[in-house]
Amino acid sequence: MHYTIEINGAQQSVDIDGETPLLWVLRDVVDLKGTKFGCGAAQCGACTVHMDGHPIRACQTPIASVGNGRITTIEAVGESRLGKLVQEAWIELDVPQCGYCQAGQIMSATALLTRTPNPTDHDINEAMNGNLCRCATYTRIRAAIKHAAEAGRA
Amino acid sequence: MKRLILAAALLAGFSFVAGAMANEKGEYLARAGDCVACHSVPGGRAFAGGLKMASPVGTLYTTNITPDPETGIGSYTLEDFDRSIRRGIARDGHRLYPAMPYPSYAKLTGSDIADLYDYFMHDVPAVRQANRANEIPPFLSPRWPLAVWNVVYTPSPGFTPDPSKDAQWNRGAYLVEGLGHCGACHSPRGTAWQEKSLDARDSSFLAGANLDDWYAPSLRANQATGLGSWSQGEIAEFLKTGHNRHAVAYGSMGDVINNSTPYLTDSDLAAIAAFLASLPATEAETAWVEDTSTAQALLSGKTDTAGAALYVSACQTCHRANGAAAPPYVPPLAGNPTVLDKDPASLINIVLNGSWPLVAKGRPDAYRMPQFREQLKDRQIAEVVSFIRGAWGNKAGAVSPQEVAALRKSTQPSSDNIVVLKMR
Ligand code: FES
Ligand code: FES
Repeated sequence: MHYTIEINGAQQSVDIDGETPLLWVLRDVVDLKGTKFGCGAAQCGACTVHMDGHPIRACQTPIASVGNGRITTIEAVGESRLGKLVQEAWIELDVPQCGYCQAGQIMSATALLTRTPNPTDHDINEAMNGNLCRCATYTRIRAAIKHAAEAGRA
Repeated sequence: MKRLILAAALLAGFSFVAGAMANEKGEYLARAGDCVACHSVPGGRAFAGGLKMASPVGTLYTTNITPDPETGIGSYTLEDFDRSIRRGIARDGHRLYPAMPYPSYAKLTGSDIADLYDYFMHDVPAVRQANRANEIPPFLSPRWPLAVWNVVYTPSPGFTPDPSKDAQWNRGAYLVEGLGHCGACHSPRGTAWQEKSLDARDSSFLAGANLDDWYAPSLRANQATGLGSWSQGEIAEFLKTGHNRHAVAYGSMGDVINNSTPYLTDSDLAAIAAFLASLPATEAETAWVEDTSTAQALLSGKTDTAGAALYVSACQTCHRANGAAAPPYVPPLAGNPTVLDKDPASLINIVLNGSWPLVAKGRPDAYRMPQFREQLKDRQIAEVVSFIRGAWGNKAGAVSPQEVAALRKSTQPSSDNIVVLKMR
């Protein structure tokens, strides 16, 4: 089947089985490898991207279900004001350890701040619950989200 | 295995072919009856039969109902066709097993039978594919008892509208009791495997039943475990898309969504909703009311039971700390009738085996439930399911590891003895 979907503001045409997960299309077809494959089973959050601003798991999203949804990946998240603030906070606080989970963490964090500019610890727990980090950078992630929120207020 | 069969049945659904002068009415009726769901196999041609079904007497294979004269129903006259659909008697006089829901189809009007006949004879492509013999032990194979069964359990043909109800209600009743054969899964069965009731006059009609390792929920107005808290618009939305803010379709209902109800007109869906909404509750229940303390505890890291801790690590990402998830795509667990049902079979089954694609009119859903068969042990599934059944204001009983073990075994995908489908 032929699908045309919007990825990072550009229309991309792919000819692929409708059941193919968006993650495969991103990484293997349109060559955006910033989004990572972790588990393929909705359990780790490494593949998080935005669809119309909502964080979704690309490994659980068949390409045929995307329709007119606008997809944003880690490659373009820095083009929004909040995404940029989050990335800067990440650098400032030196959040990543190995880095594998971090694209997903940043996507989830940006979606959280878009919804909730001043998140409480509960809000952060709720929003970031699905993003695992084997290196356990969780305390730095929490601090960086608060840092970005503060920068957003300035 | 089940998954495969369902996936293929829906693929087969797409190969419905409409000829130049297609009998649209007949095709519509075939959709409403979801004939293709049972009369096709994975990767097979639509209506060519061959689907394996378990029954109390042995294994049955559905038959070829394409118009091929030798292997299908090409030599059937309208009378033969009518007799098989409304009375369960094949052209050669042998009795059909009631895996074919003819006790429901008996409700069809003669003119709908004629339209269906026309569609099957002229618009369905003939497929030459011999029927597979049923596997039934010799002492159970004589079919004469079915004749007796039919006299007792199959109503005489035709639909008698209830004059005290309006036209919309009667249309809904006709679709639900007849072609839709909703009772095949949702009505409890008696000792002779007959549906205990076939229409709205009896309170056991659509009162919920356990079949094929799933519990098909009550469609009556029970406040917590039925449709009592759903508006008619929400019932219609569920049938049109496979989900609404209360629940998402699963199990055999996936077949219904993939091949049948989304193709019905809005007015027919509204009629079905009006009819279902009129069925009185059979359990005195209070509607679900949210208790926010569960979410507070989960978000504060106070997970004092193993079930709560498992919920946080395995379920909370999608179903959220407040159990409200993200309907319509991810179903809420808080207040969901399937979670609240006394019989936890469906809930356990979904946790063990996950869910399969819903494809409403060609567009698949995202976010399927992953399977936890390999990741979680019986005890863990029992703990997390018990937690879910008691969280957020849900008031359903705990589940034992034994119940999980039994379902794990009977739904084992690699087993030969898996109950593929019983009756639908
Ligand atoms: S790769 Fe998608 S959630 Fe892990
Ligand atoms: S930084 Fe290594 S997995 Fe998160």
